[in-house]
Amino acid sequence: MSSRSRGTGRSAGRPRGAGRLSVAGVLVMSLILTLLGRLYYVQLLDRGPSDQYAANLRDGRIVLPAPRGEILDATGKVLVGNTVAQVITVNAQTLAAQPDRGRAVLDRLGALLKRSPALLAKQITPCSPKVGAPCWTGEPYTPVPVSTDASTAAILAIAEHREQYPGVALQSTSLLEYPNGTLASHLLGYTGQVTADDVAKDKSLTDSDTIGLSGLEQQYDQYLRGTDGSQTVRLDPRGIAVGTSKTVAAIQGDTLVTSINLQVQKLVESSLLKQIQDSRKQGKAATSGSVVVMDPNTGRIIAMASWPTYNPQLFSGGISDADYAKLVAPSANAPLLDRATAGQYAPGSTFKLITSSSLVTHHEITTTDQYPCPGSVAIDGRVKTNYDSEHLGYLDLTNALGYSCDTFFYVPAADEYYNDQARIAKGQKPLEYLQAMARSYGVGTAPGVDLPGDEQASGSYADRAIRMANWKANKATWCAEAKKGYPDVADPTQRQYLTLLASQNCTDGWRYRAGDNADMSIGQGDTTMSPLQLAVAYSALVNGGKILTPTLGWQVVDGAGRVVHTVDAQVRRKVPVSQTLLNYIADALSFSRGWAVSGAYAYIGSPVQNEIGGKTGTAEVYGKQDTSWLASWGPTTKKNGAVNARFVVVGMIEQGGTGAKSAGPMLKRIWDGLLGATGAPVIAGSRAPAAPAKVPPRTTVTGGGSGNAGAQGGLSTPSVTPTFPPRTGSRR
Amino acid sequence: MTATLPERPAARDPRAPFELTHELGGLDPEPVHTDRLLLGAALALALIGAVLVWAATRGTDGSSFLVRHLFNTAVGVVIVAGVARIDVRILRGLAPFGYAAGLLGLIAVLIVGSTVNGAKAWIDLGSGFQLQPSEFMKITLIVAVAALFCARAERRAENGDERTEPITSDILIALAMLGAPLGLIMLQPDLGSALVLCAAAFGVLLVAGIASRWLVGLLAAAGGAAVLAVHLGLLATYQLDRFKAFTNPGHDPLGAAYNITQARIAIANGGLFGTGLFHGPQTNGGFVPEQQTDFVFSVAGEEFGLVGGAVIIVLVGIICWRGLVIARRADRFGQLVAVGVVCWIGFQTFENVGMNLGLTPVTGVPLPLVSYGGSSMFAEALALGLLVAIGRRAGQDR
Repeated sequence: MSSRSRGTGRSAGRPRGAGRLSVAGVLVMSLILTLLGRLYYVQLLDRGPSDQYAANLRDGRIVLPAPRGEILDATGKVLVGNTVAQVITVNAQTLAAQPDRGRAVLDRLGALLKRSPALLAKQITPCSPKVGAPCWTGEPYTPVPVSTDASTAAILAIAEHREQYPGVALQSTSLLEYPNGTLASHLLGYTGQVTADDVAKDKSLTDSDTIGLSGLEQQYDQYLRGTDGSQTVRLDPRGIAVGTSKTVAAIQGDTLVTSINLQVQKLVESSLLKQIQDSRKQGKAATSGSVVVMDPNTGRIIAMASWPTYNPQLFSGGISDADYAKLVAPSANAPLLDRATAGQYAPGSTFKLITSSSLVTHHEITTTDQYPCPGSVAIDGRVKTNYDSEHLGYLDLTNALGYSCDTFFYVPAADEYYNDQARIAKGQKPLEYLQAMARSYGVGTAPGVDLPGDEQASGSYADRAIRMANWKANKATWCAEAKKGYPDVADPTQRQYLTLLASQNCTDGWRYRAGDNADMSIGQGDTTMSPLQLAVAYSALVNGGKILTPTLGWQVVDGAGRVVHTVDAQVRRKVPVSQTLLNYIADALSFSRGWAVSGAYAYIGSPVQNEIGGKTGTAEVYGKQDTSWLASWGPTTKKNGAVNARFVVVGMIEQGGTGAKSAGPMLKRIWDGLLGATGAPVIAGSRAPAAPAKVPPRTTVTGGGSGNAGAQGGLSTPSVTPTFPPRTGSRR
Repeated sequence: MTATLPERPAARDPRAPFELTHELGGLDPEPVHTDRLLLGAALALALIGAVLVWAATRGTDGSSFLVRHLFNTAVGVVIVAGVARIDVRILRGLAPFGYAAGLLGLIAVLIVGSTVNGAKAWIDLGSGFQLQPSEFMKITLIVAVAALFCARAERRAENGDERTEPITSDILIALAMLGAPLGLIMLQPDLGSALVLCAAAFGVLLVAGIASRWLVGLLAAAGGAAVLAVHLGLLATYQLDRFKAFTNPGHDPLGAAYNITQARIAIANGGLFGTGLFHGPQTNGGFVPEQQTDFVFSVAGEEFGLVGGAVIIVLVGIICWRGLVIARRADRFGQLVAVGVVCWIGFQTFENVGMNLGLTPVTGVPLPLVSYGGSSMFAEALALGLLVAIGRRAGQDR
């Protein structure tokens, strides 16, 4: 059919065009009407199936970790701070939804981060029996942090070209920062990601939390941790996030103000390091050392150091397996161990404070009579000598302490033993005065410092009951070893010695002898103490006999500047020693007596010599060089007739030689600084402050909010704590 | 040649194929110079779109999409105003150039285009601006085919052949002109735009008066091609998945049917009057992917309910009605262009709203004027400007 006529009007040939226009109109309008009908049906009539779909969704929670609280020194200087780091996260689900399963995005990201796309792909794949490390240990819907240290250029590239990086997001997160490097690392401790065990023990923890794993970070974790925020995401039945519903911001942890003085701590650590170097130059092994500076009137620790040390920054944001392996390698000599609190060593002659207290208090010697100080004495048939077998004639207690005569103390200690044996023979209980006095001074009990329990040694001593219990517990092992004869030990002399020791222990290990009591009187044998314990004991000497609980934390202050927790000075007990005797001992050991006091050697001629007192210790350790000690106090004053000091400083160098030659010069540098011998004192007024610095309210909130870029497809991505690489090593 | 700029006699153009304007004048007695109803409906849709786009994106992007949509709308208004002032005959003369430019754009996109959601359909112009040539292809194809039919009929008339309907050779050329962009668009691949192109071309062919056997043949060929495409695997996997999801929504409710399901939940949330602006949980939660573009209708459904959705559909209906009225009054070229535009807008709306309502398979086409997107907005503004220009000329003819 064709329309040949071109005239006007509705001729027979024309209707096709006009009719067709009507057809087109009807078609189009029917489409419109169909839509209206369908809309009515969907919106009003057919609501059931949709409700069903909606019910299939469930909520998932993405944790927005709270920034940890800061740790400050007593003057308000930052010991542990927070730094804002840009974290790049990748949402694996968004990538999987890309037509190429995100390959192009990973290629681009890999080029930016200088990392192979294959490695990135592994890092964002959730762990499973088939997928091993490096894999993502978190929930599949949680964006995976892949970098905290990307260059500014890389971050800008992602921010500027969002469309090139679907599923890639930028967040700011806070990481712990240590402005003073390794300073006070043992006290501050380190942090790490929680383990499944931690979460099982503490229901308030979640998988992505960072918790304190040692030191103050662990002890004050409940305050420092803060309150995590959260973002609720809707998940479909496959666990894929399809949207977010609500966000609760994180609240930063509280601030911990410690009694540490940053300047004193710096001085202590540099003095310790210098002494290690000096002692090594003098041919000593000087394998480790530690120093404690304490306020003897409050128990507040002003500085405390242990060497070798480590950098806690390594743990911030998760420590790598390689770094952790380095720290725990035998050659590293346990840098994570805080020798000041967790190390226990024979205190040597520094223990004579306790022996003198006991002997005089129990009238076994007097402070006025003179007693022999021979080069050696035989006890139970064994010869015990002075250091270098020195013979000093007759001495009173003042000079016996000053010159540190060992034989002076052996005789009354052995006598005490025999008296107790006589009581036992009569069916009476032994008095064991020396052991009782040691307990009073804190030996055998953890000092209770505000550090984790496993980081404070309790020290040790021996008595009859302890020997017996110990023997019962170890008898089987000793006897078996005596029988075997140490076939693994190559050196025949040592093998012989060990076998003999094991065989003696096997048969007579329960026996407490006169020689053991003599050993204890000079801080040897089974007697051990931590440097911190010794500082507590010497604090009692100059504070009227009070055994204090040593403390590091002073105040916990919340974000509004309110003090939420205060650590008060706490007296545990008083030693049963008269003030007269304490004065006597302190006077006997005053460096003002010059050459008559062994500890004074390094201080002769110093402008502050007369203000200080102290007792050296040179402890013998089988198979090693001597442990060098100096327990000192100053500036000495008399308060109402009682000796008093503002600082107690205890120093220890393991395998450092005599106390006078190693610990002595080390502490001299510290005393010079504390008392201002060579300039202004490092601590204001040469005195620990009475109150900590005031912490102002926080003005900037560094909560879990985030600058969000990327995340195409309607899903905003929350801030997450970087936890890579996963911490797999066992923790100390 | 007079093909591009036909001389216009003082009284009446003797070559005008139909003088429907005169015949139908009685149906619409008002003298229409500028179709205010048409432009009002279009502007209303664009502004509703601005609100919906804002609601869909404010949670993640603040007001940046709103601002850009309003900017696009403003540019659109300028385009309409500009095009409406140009003589239709000049536009007809530009048809071959427009068509060639459209084809070049489609070729360029395959070479330098960037890929979004699986389709290589955008040319990056830098600083965040992207061009989607397939949107412009719709209007240029309509104009080109209309111009082709008119030009060839006029040439025949000069030679004494009075057939104004497209003869076989006309139809074959027109099909070739459709086939070239169709092929290029399917290479992106963009099934939705391809279908819209077919619908618009079909409208032009239908009203141009092609023989009924051709109509039947073309419809049969289209059906056969669809069956073949499915069976020979010519469609991309995701296109098949979407189609299967459409035919059987229970098949994979969380995979391919995910968009459909989420959009349906959103719309069902709305009820009669909706949850209110910014109060739709599905919209605020970002559950519906691509909600500011292809699924913008679900925002209306959730937050403004049946009433809001119906208003949008009715506004599109008004545009189509006014387009048809203009077509009836226009000369042959104007009529073909107007019908092509109406079929394009009507079919694309059906496709878009239909997929939101679970009525048609998910194919990525925007809701005309409402969805966010500069290229579609500008192309639609061009088309609206053309409609106004055609309507004006029809008014002058009266």
